[in-house]
Amino acid sequence: MNLNVNGRTHEIESPPLTTLLDVLREELGVHSPKVGCEQGGCGACTVLVDGAPRRSCLLPVAALDGAEITTVEGLGAAEHLEPVQAAFVHHYAAQCGFCTSGLLMAATAYIANGGTDDREAIAEALGGHVCRCTGYVKIVDAVAAAARGDEFDLSVTAAGLFTTTMSGGAA
Amino acid sequence: MKAVGARVPRYDGVAHVTGRTVFVEDVEIPGVAWVKALRSPHHHATITKLDTRPAEQMKGVRAVVTAADVPLNVYGHLSALGIPGDEPLLADAEVRYLGQPIAVVAADDEQTAQAAVDAIEIEFEERPALFDVRKAFDPDAPQIHQWGNWYPHFEAGMDRRQIRKGDIDAAFAQADVIVQGVYRPAAIEQLPLETQVCQVVPEANGRLTIYSCTQALYFSMGVVAAHLQQPLNKFKFVGGTVGGGFGGKVDTATETLCSLLALKSGRPTKWRWTREEEFLCSSTRAPWHMEMADAVTKDGWILGRRMITLHDSGAYARFSPYGVTKHAFHHTGAYTIPNLHFDGWCVFTNRTPTSAMRGFGVTSVSFATETHLSRIAEELGIDPFELRLKNANRIGDTSPNGVVYTDPSTVPTILAIADHLGHELPADYRTMTSEPRSDGLLPEHLVAQVGNPEDH
Repeated sequence: MNLNVNGRTHEIESPPLTTLLDVLREELGVHSPKVGCEQGGCGACTVLVDGAPRRSCLLPVAALDGAEITTVEGLGAAEHLEPVQAAFVHHYAAQCGFCTSGLLMAATAYIANGGTDDREAIAEALGGHVCRCTGYVKIVDAVAAAARGDEFDLSVTAAGLFTTTMSGGAA
Repeated sequence: MKAVGARVPRYDGVAHVTGRTVFVEDVEIPGVAWVKALRSPHHHATITKLDTRPAEQMKGVRAVVTAADVPLNVYGHLSALGIPGDEPLLADAEVRYLGQPIAVVAADDEQTAQAAVDAIEIEFEERPALFDVRKAFDPDAPQIHQWGNWYPHFEAGMDRRQIRKGDIDAAFAQADVIVQGVYRPAAIEQLPLETQVCQVVPEANGRLTIYSCTQALYFSMGVVAAHLQQPLNKFKFVGGTVGGGFGGKVDTATETLCSLLALKSGRPTKWRWTREEEFLCSSTRAPWHMEMADAVTKDGWILGRRMITLHDSGAYARFSPYGVTKHAFHHTGAYTIPNLHFDGWCVFTNRTPTSAMRGFGVTSVSFATETHLSRIAEELGIDPFELRLKNANRIGDTSPNGVVYTDPSTVPTILAIADHLGHELPADYRTMTSEPRSDGLLPEHLVAQVGNPEDH
């Protein structure tokens, strides 16, 4: 069977009942979806399956033959951030970063489907995601800003001491 | 001070939103073996049989480690401070809490590791368990700890953290009202989104490279070195990226056992706790039992506080004695009470051991104190803001353990809250500052007791 992940087609070798999360992380080396609970409760593993946000820990890969999968690696790289990524940096919406990938994918789908900066609608769209660091306010701020089409000057907030924090692993 | 008020970039902000932050489990290590633990299904039991051979003989199992494999099995989180250790890395003769690790397995994949754990033959003889700190002192309470049912190693060999300040009997003799309360905040799981996880690589030069989610890297290195009885230069810790901790990753949960399995098997090892393990088996914030009685004048001066605290440490000490110490030193909250009589015990039960979480020891008593002050205000018919401002810490006041406050923030904080809420205050309260009490607010008969810092 095949999966298209961030624009590249892969032939999948994992057994059919392997979760999409394990296929992405263990077989394909795509590490932005995180293992938070493995029972669909936290949202850290959320990816887009044919444009819709789905819990990759609950999806057996056999059900996804030919699907198009988008993860954070398929959004913008550091030099070409998507508005929602820039908004997360500008509004300090990522703290430890572990829930960020899932939230970015849910927010991407929300905005792509015409979501506005209405805070209640954003809260509804992100309601399945747990973040223990931020208290959610900055996350909703960021998604609302991206939904409005705010522009950000990241010349201050984006310039850090490091662009990655640990060596090793897949880029 | 260039950063104050400025927009400072997060050094890891762009990495987080591009998926380039490498957390512990994102480090790809070829041939890494999965680790799973055999844990106690009982709250309190004697282990009558442990046979790991069925697991060792399974295809794909690389190593099994029990207490017999640990060079120094018992080591405490406070051992570096000279406190004796009390907790075995792996349970030996007995188990004292549900989920306590007894043996760990490294195997080629997660399913094989779990199957091997399930194949270990173990039998128990259950013993009565203790869950309620209030029953720990009963003569017929189950005996659960080698030190007795409460921690005996506070300063000067005391079995409690004790504060005595001023003349508590005189304070209660002068009181118009005595307000009592009991406060019992429950245990809380820190719940980081990234569960406990580490990876250990045995290097060709005999050293171990340890990818750790610890919040306390050098502390964890010391703990691993002590259990393994190896010098620190045998370990290379790689840390710095923590997927949430909140205190729950101060204890060294996974690194030591993964290191032992890596050494025994010669293979790199990885242990990622399930969410269920994180909830059931990792340290939590402690539950507390606090009883306080305040001696109060009818115009709202708190003259004295008697208090006892029972801190539920769970089955072992970990960092709980330190939490009790902080609790004792902060037990008047942001307020100065001149006469104090406090006793705090660190009580052992058969619950999951409790340890660090965000201001542990202080948050519990802050909750109790703020609730209690509101109750005092209600009972006296006094504005709760005025009651707090009256008793607020001032420059020159002393903490319960005798530290002189040089820059207390209680008064400006409460005034800012009142402002924000639009809460009206009389002029003499609205203009209050943190300067020593000299504004005539203090009743004459209390000046000697409250007004002079030398007396506290």
